[in-house]
Amino acid sequence: MKKIIVACGSGVATSQTVASKVKDLCEKKGLRVQVEAINIRNLEAHIKNCDMYISITPYEKKDYGVPVVSGIPFLTGVGLDVAMKQIEEVLRK
Amino acid sequence: MLKTVINYILGMGPSVFLPFIMIIIGLIVRMKFRRAFSAALTLGVAFAGMSVIINFMMSAIGPASQAFVKSTGLHLRAIDMGWTPLAAVAWAWPYAFFMFPIQIAINLIMLGFGWTNCLNVDMWNVWNKILTAVLVAGVTGSLPAAFIVGAIEVVFELKNADLTQKQIYKITGIPGIALPHAMGLTAVILAPLNRLLDFIPGLKNINIDAEKIREKIGIFGENHVMGFIIGFLIALFARYDVKGILTLAVQSATALTLFPMAAKLFMEALAPISDAAGEFMKRRFPGREFYIGLDWPFLAGQAEIWVTTIVLVPVILLAAIVLPGNNVLPFGGILNICFAAPALIITNKNLVRMFILGVITTPLYLYVATSFSPIITNLAKSVGTIKIPAGQLMTWNGMEAPGFRWIWAHAADVINGHFAGLVFLAIWGVIYVWYYRYMSRREKEVAKELGFDMTANPLSMP
Repeated sequence: MKKIIVACGSGVATSQTVASKVKDLCEKKGLRVQVEAINIRNLEAHIKNCDMYISITPYEKKDYGVPVVSGIPFLTGVGLDVAMKQIEEVLRK
Repeated sequence: MLKTVINYILGMGPSVFLPFIMIIIGLIVRMKFRRAFSAALTLGVAFAGMSVIINFMMSAIGPASQAFVKSTGLHLRAIDMGWTPLAAVAWAWPYAFFMFPIQIAINLIMLGFGWTNCLNVDMWNVWNKILTAVLVAGVTGSLPAAFIVGAIEVVFELKNADLTQKQIYKITGIPGIALPHAMGLTAVILAPLNRLLDFIPGLKNINIDAEKIREKIGIFGENHVMGFIIGFLIALFARYDVKGILTLAVQSATALTLFPMAAKLFMEALAPISDAAGEFMKRRFPGREFYIGLDWPFLAGQAEIWVTTIVLVPVILLAAIVLPGNNVLPFGGILNICFAAPALIITNKNLVRMFILGVITTPLYLYVATSFSPIITNLAKSVGTIKIPAGQLMTWNGMEAPGFRWIWAHAADVINGHFAGLVFLAIWGVIYVWYYRYMSRREKEVAKELGFDMTANPLSMP
């Protein structure tokens, strides 16, 4: 099963909100996936063991070695379809 | 009859009554019973899990802190637990869930009348208002006062989202969002101090590259590493032997690692409700444009936040020792994020200024944590499952908006004939008026710099 990580400041609230939402949307499309909320300070340790990273913060400057998508659409609802499509592409690969 | 039933359920403790409330709310927002049951049970598990970790930490750190007091002569009796245990006991307050409709209603009214441009979908931080209400209830003994101050906080949070939106856009580059978090209210105190720094020669334009420093000291920002260090220091000064020191250090690391893991379950349980509430609010204003109010972590990528919190650790430890009247033993809240995030906005990412402001305001955080420690301890005890030894207190150093909470709680105490708080509130009010104008001006300047057309449409994007 593919694994997606979501990072926020504490690994408690925002990242878990996004993680729950992504998992929910994937299940509705019949996609099996593991989505884990983590603390951004532990990002380096987790990013090696995942297939995708959902970032709450701006991420363009850095190369993480895995596909990255913004988590903001899952909080605001704006641009949700585009973000979801990106996730689907990675999961169906 | 109904009262007996309610009291009977409340008497079973939060790990039972919270799931009860949760199932009812879940069904109201039209969740399927299966999902509502699962979410409700997760909430119960979150609470019971949190209690287990708090008790584990109390049994490890409690005796060590008492030995620390004995051997050093420093009366630091209130253990700083950080925010996660506080969130747990705040949600366990029997009236906690009433804060949801209050926040939503105030937000919809303010949007409807054009008093704010922020639609706050961050339902997790309803707990900030619950904590405020709990503290007000602790000071005044009045439930109406608790909810009124909680409601006032909602208004100020939304106004603050309006007053910082463009500046936050400049920092993050993320369009359409704002920060109505309670921690933003600390800016009311930080902004005038930051303005004073403008007059110090040499400080005007100095800055340091935070990214480089973070690469070197970032490891200290990891929960288990910081827990290990603080546990190590407490045991060292408590004159434990080597085995005792290392054991406590690892136990402290364990507590600080497990707290967020258990706290995550709260969010997992509340996510469906939070989602439903957000959708409900968005549906009310189909034609209206607004910023979406989010929790603070979209700022968490800024290196300045983490560098500031880490370099302030020795400052907080030293302040706790030398400040007369302080009773806080810094521990779980030692990385003061609730200071660093508003400081980032106010100083416009200036690390040197953030550090200076941090040094100046550290006593405020410690004294407010000292002042509220008996109320927080009583609240934790009233939960029933959390055991706190006699003579021991718990608190949270580094809470959001310490000034706002302390001043409004004590101003509300006027209902008991205590007028002193009103004096502080008057001073705060004067500062707020200045703050409102100052920040409005800064917003306009940033808008101009970024090419927003504020006159045609205050919500326009470049």
